Amino acid sequence: MSQKKPQMQVEQKVPENIVKKSARDTKLREAVAKRRTERLAANKTRRAQWEKNAQAYDNEYKAADKSLVDSLRKAKSEGGFYVPAESKLILVVRIRGINTLNPQVRQTLRLLKLRQLHNAAFVRVNKATIEMIRKVEPYVTYGYPSRAVIKNLIYKRGYAKINGQRIPLTNNNIIEQQLGKVGIHSIEDLVHEIVTVGAHFKEANRFLWAFKLRGPRGGFIAKRRSFINQGDWGNREDLINDLVKRMI
Amino acid sequence: MTSVPLVSVFSADDSTKVTAKHIPLPAVFQTPIRPDIVSFVHTNIAKNRRQAHAVNPQAGMQHSAESWGTGRAVARIPRVSGSGTHRSGQAAFGNQCRKGRMSLPIKVWRRWHRRVNIKQKRHAAATAVAATGIVPLVLARGHRISQVPQIPLVVEDKIESYEKTTDALNFLKRFGAFEDVQKVVSTKVVRAGISKQRGKKYRVRKGPLVVYFNENAKLLKAFRNVPGVEVVNVTRLNLLQLAPGGQLGRFVIWTQSAFAHLDKLFGTYRYASVLKDGYQLLRPLLTNPDLARIINSNQVQEKVQPAKTTKVLHEVQKKNPLKNTKAMDRLNPYAKKQRAAATAAIKANTKGTKKIKKNKALKKASRAAFNKVSAALNDATKAAVQEEQDIKVKYFSVQKGAAQAE
Repeated sequence: MSQKKPQMQVEQKVPENIVKKSARDTKLREAVAKRRTERLAANKTRRAQWEKNAQAYDNEYKAADKSLVDSLRKAKSEGGFYVPAESKLILVVRIRGINTLNPQVRQTLRLLKLRQLHNAAFVRVNKATIEMIRKVEPYVTYGYPSRAVIKNLIYKRGYAKINGQRIPLTNNNIIEQQLGKVGIHSIEDLVHEIVTVGAHFKEANRFLWAFKLRGPRGGFIAKRRSFINQGDWGNREDLINDLVKRMI
Repeated sequence: MTSVPLVSVFSADDSTKVTAKHIPLPAVFQTPIRPDIVSFVHTNIAKNRRQAHAVNPQAGMQHSAESWGTGRAVARIPRVSGSGTHRSGQAAFGNQCRKGRMSLPIKVWRRWHRRVNIKQKRHAAATAVAATGIVPLVLARGHRISQVPQIPLVVEDKIESYEKTTDALNFLKRFGAFEDVQKVVSTKVVRAGISKQRGKKYRVRKGPLVVYFNENAKLLKAFRNVPGVEVVNVTRLNLLQLAPGGQLGRFVIWTQSAFAHLDKLFGTYRYASVLKDGYQLLRPLLTNPDLARIINSNQVQEKVQPAKTTKVLHEVQKKNPLKNTKAMDRLNPYAKKQRAAATAAIKANTKGTKKIKKNKALKKASRAAFNKVSAALNDATKAAVQEEQDIKVKYFSVQKGAAQAE
């Protein structure tokens, strides 16, 4: 029978730096948890605001469509014509590659963000941009995009330029961080700004990286000719939408 | 066995007996270990034992070879003049040619030796001495010191008067240094390469280095024939012996007077060296090497910011919101309502078409009407066909009648 060893009374001493570190860690953890609850609450209000904005834009679009139809009907009934306002927005698609380019054309394409074949970009319509597009006409096709095409481009092919990096638009935080100070907080705000060419179109468009589209399913007709001459380059007005739908 | 600031001096006859306890370690042993300085100094100092050599300046050039020039369907390299032998017309002189001279033939005036700044040489020596007092370094260098009672090993001056090799051997055995000697003996190999025919037949490892002080010491002869052991006076410590191959941590056996002389030789951190004019030991970059203690100190922890979490700007994979409902709802909370409204509209439209299907009476009536019309059409068609046939019969019969009449 072995003797039971007497128990030594030793108080468990925890090293001082471990005590300090655990105190610091609990404080940090609490701060993180607090920030999380705050962030979740803020997110809830933000999401409600996004929904509200999106609904407002939806109504606005429906109203715009209705007013167009009404105007057309009214004009017809009066025996006259209703000419809708010229589009303020152009969608330019580059249809020629990089080889053997005139340096001025090369530079203008770069200014329009069209650095690559099948790149597409939104351009505001004014004297300056019209002149630029005229310079590069044989190398691009352009027209007036419909609302659906604009929306699909931004949702499916929308990337942001942040710190010179191409960041996909996967959540509204990205948009909020860059364009929040300009009043664009969600992707629907961004779409609305582009569609209506609003006051902050410049910031919104600069925020967007050029859309990198695929080649059109079904092909081009003849890139060597202008659209008017049964080809592809130049202004094709509303028919740009059919082309871009095949390229999205 | 640890490198301690205090050192015991052992009796030459008995490794368990200590003749002087707690002698302070000379300041050299506290020098920061600078393998970069040692490596630099060693690579340069090691070149200073070289003897000039060269190739024969005429080698490969003892021909009157001349190039044949172009137009003879051969390369333009100089060719041996003359005839009557295989050698004539063969290529000569070039480094690429057989029997040609080498490219850039070695000259005796090649710069064989390198000068190193005195301060660097002294720092290297100091570091090398310091490294001999660090057990892991000595072990890493490959010395067998597991039975050695103390590193640095300091022994009384009695060994300086050893004359017989047996005394030397027994001394080494007593202090566990013989294992290192045995290593040297057992690993002696014939050298690979041509130098074995040029007087360097064996490759022998380095064993212990015995450092003495008195110039008249006889131990030089006693230790001379023990393989691997080198003997050197403390005033002539050589980096090539303290750090052979540039590798720090030679196993050194000091005599007491040699050990005591080190402070005069290298100086301390308070006083410059006496014998090396104006030499001051290298100072360490860190006075407190306990990094863990520094980092965990209050002064540092007060200023430390919390650890950064990786900021993820966006999800790793972009999902197409036009196809992926979750991705769409994340971006546009209103999309859910829009989808619901769209499905409701489709349902409302289909309700209208179902109403038409359920009207059987209408279907029956329309079918009856259709049958009526088609029946009337059939009758009319039949009547028309019959009428045509009658006309044909009438016509042909009339013709026949006319023919018959004629």
